Amino acid sequence: MNRRQSLLAAVAVATVALGWGPVRAEDGVTLTIGKLLELTGPLSENGPSQDKAITIAVDYANQAAAAAGVPIKVSAVSADAQGDPQAALSAARALVAKGASAIIGPSITPESIAIANGLTIQKRISLWPVGTSTRLRTIKDEGTIFRTVPPDSLQAYALAAAVVDKVGDPKGKLLSIAYRNEPYGEGLAKDLKAAWTAKGGTIQGPVVFDPAQATFDSEAQQVVDHNPDAYVVIDYPDTFAKFGASLVRTGNYDAAKLVVPDALAFSTVPGNIPPPALEGARGTRGGSDISTDAYKLFDQLWQKAGGVEHFALDANSFDSTTLVVLAAAAAHSTDPAALTAKIRDVAKPGAPKFGPTTLGEALKAAWSGKPIDYVGVAGAFEFADNGDPTISRFDIYEYKGGKLDVIKQIDAAK
Amino acid sequence: MTFLNLDFWIGVGVIAGIYGIFVLGLQLNVGFTGIINLGQAGFMAIGAYAMGMLVVDAGWPMALAFPAAVGVAVGAGLLVGLPTLRLRADYFGIVTIAFSEIVRYVLQNASFAGGNQGVIGYDAEWRAFQSWVSPHLKPLGLDRATQAPLLIAVWAMLFLCVCGLKALQASPWGRALRAIREDEDAAAALGKNVFAFKLQSLGLAAALAAIAGFFLALNVTYLYPSEFDLSFTFFGYAALLLGGFASYAGAALGAVVLCALTEGLRFLDLPLSSGQVGSLRMILVGLMLVGLSLYRPEGLLGNRSEMQLRA
Amino acid sequence: MTIEEGIGAGAQGRAPRPPIEIPAAAWLALTLVFVAVCLVVARGPVAVGQTTLNGLIAAGYFSLGAVGLTLVFGTLRIINFAHGDLLTLGAYLTFGLNAMGAPFWPAAAVAIALTALIALSLDYVIWAPLRRARTSTLQAMLAAIGLAMVIRFTVQFFAGSQVRGVGQDVLSSINIGPLHLGSLQALVLVVGVVASTLVGLGLAFTRLGKQIRALSDNMALAEVAGIDTARAIRVVWIVAGGLAALAGILFAAAVGSVNPNFGFFTLLSLFTAAVLGGIGNAYGALVGGLVIGLAQEWSTLFVNPRWKPVVGFAILIVVLLVLPRGIFGGSRERS
Repeated sequence: MNRRQSLLAAVAVATVALGWGPVRAEDGVTLTIGKLLELTGPLSENGPSQDKAITIAVDYANQAAAAAGVPIKVSAVSADAQGDPQAALSAARALVAKGASAIIGPSITPESIAIANGLTIQKRISLWPVGTSTRLRTIKDEGTIFRTVPPDSLQAYALAAAVVDKVGDPKGKLLSIAYRNEPYGEGLAKDLKAAWTAKGGTIQGPVVFDPAQATFDSEAQQVVDHNPDAYVVIDYPDTFAKFGASLVRTGNYDAAKLVVPDALAFSTVPGNIPPPALEGARGTRGGSDISTDAYKLFDQLWQKAGGVEHFALDANSFDSTTLVVLAAAAAHSTDPAALTAKIRDVAKPGAPKFGPTTLGEALKAAWSGKPIDYVGVAGAFEFADNGDPTISRFDIYEYKGGKLDVIKQIDAAK
Repeated sequence: MTFLNLDFWIGVGVIAGIYGIFVLGLQLNVGFTGIINLGQAGFMAIGAYAMGMLVVDAGWPMALAFPAAVGVAVGAGLLVGLPTLRLRADYFGIVTIAFSEIVRYVLQNASFAGGNQGVIGYDAEWRAFQSWVSPHLKPLGLDRATQAPLLIAVWAMLFLCVCGLKALQASPWGRALRAIREDEDAAAALGKNVFAFKLQSLGLAAALAAIAGFFLALNVTYLYPSEFDLSFTFFGYAALLLGGFASYAGAALGAVVLCALTEGLRFLDLPLSSGQVGSLRMILVGLMLVGLSLYRPEGLLGNRSEMQLRA
Repeated sequence: MTIEEGIGAGAQGRAPRPPIEIPAAAWLALTLVFVAVCLVVARGPVAVGQTTLNGLIAAGYFSLGAVGLTLVFGTLRIINFAHGDLLTLGAYLTFGLNAMGAPFWPAAAVAIALTALIALSLDYVIWAPLRRARTSTLQAMLAAIGLAMVIRFTVQFFAGSQVRGVGQDVLSSINIGPLHLGSLQALVLVVGVVASTLVGLGLAFTRLGKQIRALSDNMALAEVAGIDTARAIRVVWIVAGGLAALAGILFAAAVGSVNPNFGFFTLLSLFTAAVLGGIGNAYGALVGGLVIGLAQEWSTLFVNPRWKPVVGFAILIVVLLVLPRGIFGGSRERS
């Protein structure tokens, strides 16, 4: 090749690499979902599983739409939030530049707030964080932020109820709390402490541990000291693999006394968490009438896709993605503002209910303009004004033989 | 034309400007004084949080809180420098790292600073100002770009700082500083209080970090400790390396080029998984740093004779 | 001593000797014992005993990782920010070989050798050219940061950023009366002590060790004196790389699960231990690790464990202010 041809070839390669390639012809609605993932940085453990959760949601939605004859096609683009709010803001802008109509995924509230204030509120793009901090509700988001993760206040009640279910009347009972040092744990622990002491119980701790430590033995000792009646550990699977081992090694730990929140809920316990740390432990997670079937389907899809194991709150990202697709179907458009406007119409209280197993029919109903109430894997949402789910149904489950078994359901608002 | 999205590049411009101001402090310390300040992110955190807390908790107007916060950061710089500047250069560097991390952990764990919940709500005045400015940008076509006023503010400040520092450099103070960097013992023999100069240099760098922190706070609208971790400082040094250690303009240019490169790589579109693209982006930045160190250590604008730092 | 003796000593160029010279190690041991006794009075023997044991375990992790770091820092004046990622590299090479069918510990042995080789080739490719070009500390530091990113994200490129279980038995523990420690943790502690001691002894008594020490004192002078500095430097990198890999593998095995960031996250603690003990001193790495580990775990007796990282950094700053060259740094001027 002569020099000119090489130059042209190089330009062509650069063009394609930079995403300037030819635009494909469209039919129906071609939706692009923005995945804001933690690919590098201190939170990068989350990245692969969140990526997988959104991807299987996209694939499943495409399948269901094709089978139901609804002309909507979904694809996804991704950007790296790097665990840093400034980088996350830039990543969100990159997603919008790449054509995303909605952004799924900020893992921590600082990222969500930076993106909301810097980008999505003004452009009316719906933002779907996984973070649960109460701070997020203090900003005026003009209806653009939605969360499929239950708010701390409700989950704290559910946790308290789960503990009561195990140990009976809280009066005079000692509850030992530990949490990983970040907003999820801190918020939940605060509400749980208030809920438990209001019922007459006493609290040991909270013991707060820094995830980057090499050993957690001192912290674990403080959790099991004085033989509390129950322990609540608010943690993510990657740290719990280490913390759980420390707990077991204290020699004074009874997994049956443990109650955990939704970040440690998995259909099958991941391989790196030592089984004695969770065997017989109980926990809470968002639930619904169809929980069991919905989670079963989700787990099937997850296992079939291969790759990484379950991680915290993956079902919630799956649900967020599905809701965006439904909203796009309802709006007949990929314009972010139009899509955002239709989200409450697909999670409307009182409308006919659909679930993951009936996604095709849900899409059809949404496409034809009927309001629906989509119940996700992690429960129904029926978003409040601030974008948080209002449904307070929780599953209380127990780990038996490494597998999650729902033993009852409660309504945390009662 | 996904790559040429205006909003995106304005955002990159803001980040580049913030790094530019941050790196000016590093240039002053390393390039012109000969101290390896690895705690710049800590000073930035102090400045940003001081401003945020003064506005939110004490109700101060931002116009007062900002200079006060810069003052607090300078105070911190002097406090840190007093006992530690007598240490050997690389030990001093490590102590400043420890300082930076202590600041971050204290902000995360102490309730007075909001802890894990951070600080929010300090930018109300700025937002009001921003919405007042935006329509005036219509002739430039920038009225719809949310970050355009911030971009202008950051770059105006950067320009001011560069001019101020250049003037300082040409002054007797600047000349003494340069003499100290070249040969500390000779400068001391000539009667210069080496220690005092180094302390002033650190204080001034802390001020610049605080200014950068102020704009960072306005950019992300939420103060949270992880924004001020060591990787910010390392990235700043990478920008400094890129621009060459010889001039303030070079430092600013290095920041712009590095940010543009790193952010521009977000549009890399290859048939790899998202995780692999993310990793590749970082590998390329790392390779660039190594390559620069090996093949062009004087950076884009520097010259080799300025480079030697006896440590 | 008499005034005459003092003047005589000064005239010969030596500092007058104090009547009783207590080495730094003894001071340190005394301080630690004193603190431990105070703690027992305040919190009871079992709690103090357990936290002391936990501190020793932490010290094991830090020492093992810090020996290589301090060696490279002392001889080559490089703040090797890529050292932490050599830990990651060692661990992940082991996982890779393990996944290909090799049993864990033989795979680990091969991974250690591979990492040592990689560390050596990095010297040829990066560090030696920088030395020849006489670049500054800062330039080398930045090259190290870049290298750290390349290693870490190359590992992540192939292995993914998710957490990986190592599969060793993290639950088996050894009970000593009311105290307990994990079996693998005990292994880390023993290997950490043995490795630091062996390196320290090697530096003090073998010919190669003496050459390396000469090198760290003054490289130009060492070359002039006829020492094969190139060979000494090669040995330093092989030892540093191998020990880093060993540290990474043991860390991963004992902690139970890791992701590609773990080496980088531990790096700061390793630096703290190395600097605290005195750069270039292998025993210093051990002692530095000990002080940090004990300080952090003992602090949990009084404050919430969330403050553990701050304790480590605060101790570093305090010690450096009192002993500017670390505990074993001595007062020798380094060029």
